[in-house]
Amino acid sequence: MTQIFTVTELNSRISDRLEGDLRLHDLWARGEVSNYVHHRSGHRYFTLKDRESQISCVLFRSNGGSLDFEMNDGKNVLVYGDVTVYRPQGRVQLVARGIKQDEGLGFRHLQLEALKEKLAREGLFAPERKRPLPRYPQRIGIVTSPQGAALRDVLRTLGNYPARIILSPAQVQGEEAEKSIASALLALRGRSDLIIVCRGGGSTEDLWCFNSEMVARAIFACDAPVISAVGHETDVTVADHVADARAATPTAAAKMAIPDLEEVQEALKYTKVRMMRALWTALEWERDRLGHLHHALSARRMYSLTRDCRQRLDYLSQMLEGAEAGMLRSRRGRLELLAGRLGAVGPQETLQRGYAIARSGKSLIVKAADVRPGEEIELILSQGRLLCRILECRNDEEAML
Amino acid sequence: MKQEETSLEGALDDLEQIVEVLEEGKMSLEESLELYERGMKLVALCQSRLQNAEKRIECLTGELPSDLS
Repeated sequence: MTQIFTVTELNSRISDRLEGDLRLHDLWARGEVSNYVHHRSGHRYFTLKDRESQISCVLFRSNGGSLDFEMNDGKNVLVYGDVTVYRPQGRVQLVARGIKQDEGLGFRHLQLEALKEKLAREGLFAPERKRPLPRYPQRIGIVTSPQGAALRDVLRTLGNYPARIILSPAQVQGEEAEKSIASALLALRGRSDLIIVCRGGGSTEDLWCFNSEMVARAIFACDAPVISAVGHETDVTVADHVADARAATPTAAAKMAIPDLEEVQEALKYTKVRMMRALWTALEWERDRLGHLHHALSARRMYSLTRDCRQRLDYLSQMLEGAEAGMLRSRRGRLELLAGRLGAVGPQETLQRGYAIARSGKSLIVKAADVRPGEEIELILSQGRLLCRILECRNDEEAML
Repeated sequence: MKQEETSLEGALDDLEQIVEVLEEGKMSLEESLELYERGMKLVALCQSRLQNAEKRIECLTGELPSDLS
């Protein structure tokens, strides 16, 4: 006979069964923490998982007052507790009564590290291969979920920027996410000059697809620079390492993708001013040149004036020289004249006219009293001299000529 | 639709070059004037390109969610 359960009855039964199993009490379970939430209530919720499976865990405040390490996603732990069924949701969970840190990295993290190392060795993370983002992208490709908040954040931030926006939808969570993201990236080939691949925040588990080798290689193979923005600031995925630029959030990615429109407007205004200034300078220069030419012109005139002047000067100096020569000539004439006149004043001509010069010793005799009778004197004639002796000295005036 | 209208980037690049040449000041006044006019036209082009931007969103597969179209 078929028994029909209500849901409550069914969960009740499962619960009884599980909680009655002693092997599911006071047990230790080993795994990696993910989706860790330390709730305001003081309870801690997380998922314990390994490569193939996972189970919900809770550590109630009453049990978890004293953890001797810091819980966070990716940490490997040993959980001590009991399996129970959370009946409102029919969920099997491990209620922890104690948690210890398990030394050593989780398997998945080891895998991730290995992948990172491999890709780094191949040069996928090399800074020198990162392409510069276009300053003014005209076709912006976006790879993300059409339903996600990330897309809305990006579109809002791109605002009125004049570009074509090409959405290449992808599943960004779950089983198919890797393939979906990789194909969406591939689909943008030849269609965009900048690509944003993004998704909003989530658990390490949710973001894990961005740690996949397939996505990494798809990003690497893109023919346009890629900005990746996955989760929040603290989440850095392999995709972020491969991308040409990494933004902390989808909004930040959009800001990074386009120039600040106000800045561009400002730059345009400034360009206008620069051109006007340059033209003005060209005009100034031309005016200066005109000034110079003007100046040069009058200088030339000055020069020709000087030439006239110089001619006149030459002429004048010639005249002057001529005049001087003439003057010299006339001077010489005058000298001769004067010499002639001097000659007339000299005694020679007077002597020729019959006069004589009387001399006693060295002095001239000009009156009778200058000599005494019997004294010898000399008479200089026009030609020759006479030695004479004084007979008598007379002082009378009648003797005058 | 025009196939290859001058891109904003192309126009801005041209503009940058024009300003540099103008500022170098090695051109004749006539050439400077010509460049200046071309530059001013480019400024106007860029400004109108920036102001008359319409949102152009397309979706490669499927339809755009209704709140985006």
